[in-house]
Amino acid sequence: MMISGTLSASLRRRLFCRSFLLQASWNFEQMQGLGALFVLSPLLRKLYQGEELQQACARHLSYFNTHPFIAPVILSGMAQLEVNGAGKEEIEEFRQLLMAPCAAMGDAFFWGGVRPFAAVVAMFFALHGSLLAPVVLLLIFNLPHLLVRIVGFSKGCELAEGVVDFLARCRLPDLAIRLKQATLILLGILCAGLTHNTLNFAALPWQWGGAIIPLVFTLGWLARHRLSPLLLALLLAALILVLPGLY
Amino acid sequence: MESFTPYLLGAGMAVLLGLDRTAALQIMVSRPLVAGPLVGFVLGDPLTGLTVGMLLELLWLCRMPVGASIPHDDTQITVSATTLAIALSATIGSGAGLTLGALLIALPLGKIGQHVERAVRTQNERLPAAALARLQLGQLPAVERLHLCGLGNFALGALTTYTVIVLVGRWLILSGAPFFLDLLTTQADWIKLALVLAGVATLLQALNVRRAYGLFFGGFLLTFLLLGVLR
Repeated sequence: MMISGTLSASLRRRLFCRSFLLQASWNFEQMQGLGALFVLSPLLRKLYQGEELQQACARHLSYFNTHPFIAPVILSGMAQLEVNGAGKEEIEEFRQLLMAPCAAMGDAFFWGGVRPFAAVVAMFFALHGSLLAPVVLLLIFNLPHLLVRIVGFSKGCELAEGVVDFLARCRLPDLAIRLKQATLILLGILCAGLTHNTLNFAALPWQWGGAIIPLVFTLGWLARHRLSPLLLALLLAALILVLPGLY
Repeated sequence: MESFTPYLLGAGMAVLLGLDRTAALQIMVSRPLVAGPLVGFVLGDPLTGLTVGMLLELLWLCRMPVGASIPHDDTQITVSATTLAIALSATIGSGAGLTLGALLIALPLGKIGQHVERAVRTQNERLPAAALARLQLGQLPAVERLHLCGLGNFALGALTTYTVIVLVGRWLILSGAPFFLDLLTTQADWIKLALVLAGVATLLQALNVRRAYGLFFGGFLLTFLLLGVLR
């Protein structure tokens, strides 16, 4: 067993780096299960040997599914519990307790909030033909991404089961709603700019831009009624290509 | 004279960027707006990649890679459309028409990516059982290698999707170019607007917040009126 009650810095680094490969063997059966064992295996190798090591690994080779960016919080918490000599039931309970809430929190914040916000801001640069667009997207997305990974991992190591309170204090769902609202306003501004430019190029009066409002409503209505983005895009492109031929 | 090199470079990028979607890092280099200019940069024309990426970025932005849900493979659509547009520019001439043609042909072909990824994830299902068998033999390093095999499966999947889109897409573009290239070039601005609007409409649905349409139209009207007055 490990003598010290905390994870060493080099072990922390190894576990953290491995967490970027958590989903390498994603599958429908255990989802990130094998990945979780892959992340924790350097620690387990240090803590156990022989039969004990096999049993510890087998315990961790089970269903694991959470948001990949918040997973380091859970995995480092589990690692700290292992180091503290917690029982297998306690570690399992910790993992079961956190997986689903962390998944929901991460999905809402990163996929629903940060990613659309970063993409829409970057679109402003892209529409002006600026090659800064990808840089802007990467920066806006990865600042919170890496921050959550790094802080989450170190808090998990520091607090073990106390990390639950830390996660609750982060208020990620509230932040996600604010980001979504900002994204919607930016999306409106983006559409207005693009419409204005297109009308300018086509030498049409700017008042024609008012037609965009019912068009977006109609497209939104179609999207709500399960018309996929693919069909929506192809339908619009086909209409634009066919309509001039009819007149 | 058409060269084979862009297709090879495109294949390398397809694998690297494809891994970022699910299997490794997830730092969003797989997003169309990043992947497009990156592929374009490697092939010597980042602006074509930027155009492709910009038009695709919003379409599947809110399709979450959550649990067992597999979103449309917009990464491989971007990589293959950019590669096709740049590689074929030597044969049929560059321009907005070719870029849009490559994009509109790659779009439906990207559906293949969903099936390929499902097959990859199904293929990965044998890995936990194999890992357990290795564990019982006390071979922990072999278990770690099995996990990394999954990475190989994802890479192979990305390459398969890219190859299918590029092969079918190339044939469709070369055989259809005389019919659609001029039309696409003349309607390029409208098609670009339409693709962005399709993305905006799907985003409006997906960003599930109260007063979504109010916030969007508020932003739109204020900006549009301001631009109209300043014109």
